[in-house]
Amino acid sequence: MATTASIAITSDITDSINFGINEQMTMTQADLTSDLEETTGLAQRTFSGSLTQVVLLDVSTFGAITAGGAVAHKVYIRNTGTDKTKGFKVFLADAADDVEEIGTLFGQDWMLMPWLATDASEDIMVKPSSTEKMTIEYAVFHQ
Amino acid sequence: MATTCTLNLSSDMLSSPINITASTTLTKAALTSDLDLIEMGRGTIAEGDGSKTAEFGLPTALGADKAAKLFFVNKATDPTYYIDIDLHDTNVGRLYAGDWMFIPYGMNDTASEFVIEAEPAGATCPYEFALFQEPQTLVAHS
Repeated sequence: MATTASIAITSDITDSINFGINEQMTMTQADLTSDLEETTGLAQRTFSGSLTQVVLLDVSTFGAITAGGAVAHKVYIRNTGTDKTKGFKVFLADAADDVEEIGTLFGQDWMLMPWLATDASEDIMVKPSSTEKMTIEYAVFHQ
Repeated sequence: MATTCTLNLSSDMLSSPINITASTTLTKAALTSDLDLIEMGRGTIAEGDGSKTAEFGLPTALGADKAAKLFFVNKATDPTYYIDIDLHDTNVGRLYAGDWMFIPYGMNDTASEFVIEAEPAGATCPYEFALFQEPQTLVAHS
């Protein structure tokens, strides 16, 4: 039950240096070489008429909290819109229920990151920048 | 001066496999013009180093509401070695050997620094990074 992810970045930001980054990973469980075994599947959520920050991924829905954070969850999120002027701010709550902004996904932008998800307040939240219809897709691959 | 970033993800966990292909051209915040500043490199962090603020992309108020993107990979080969990732004092998660991440990076203020720590005891983790940003504002010479 393997889950693999590869990233390819190409850039000609500078005139004199063109470069590429290519990496691949197989998503494994913490401290093990066995594969991650659970997923939410690919899900979608559409926002319209609201600028409210909402919980996209509630940590409490991902099973028992693992003491010590020995997990290797991965989260994929993508703004499926094509408008580069509109974005979703993505946030992560911390143990004190404070909120840390990760960054903004503009149209077509995507992210893939590890997720500790071992504290009851470590939800992932998103906030659309426009009241117009905006859609986000996401998936969690977890232990 | 375009930078494009493509993800190919496949999983056979489900009876109907998941296949995701996503590609984006990195642009400035709320604009269609390209990002035009890059910072990249390689380093090594050992468990004995403790928790360290990464030397790249130190956030400032100038980074507020910009469109930076950060790629980071743990190049260790021992599967038990991981790098704990924090944004300021919020724990994001663990990158085990070979794991990579790609995120938008708010760099909003000095309280959003990227913090790394190698674990467990005895671990040494080489890492590589690339940070794509909007240009910094030049300041007057004093």
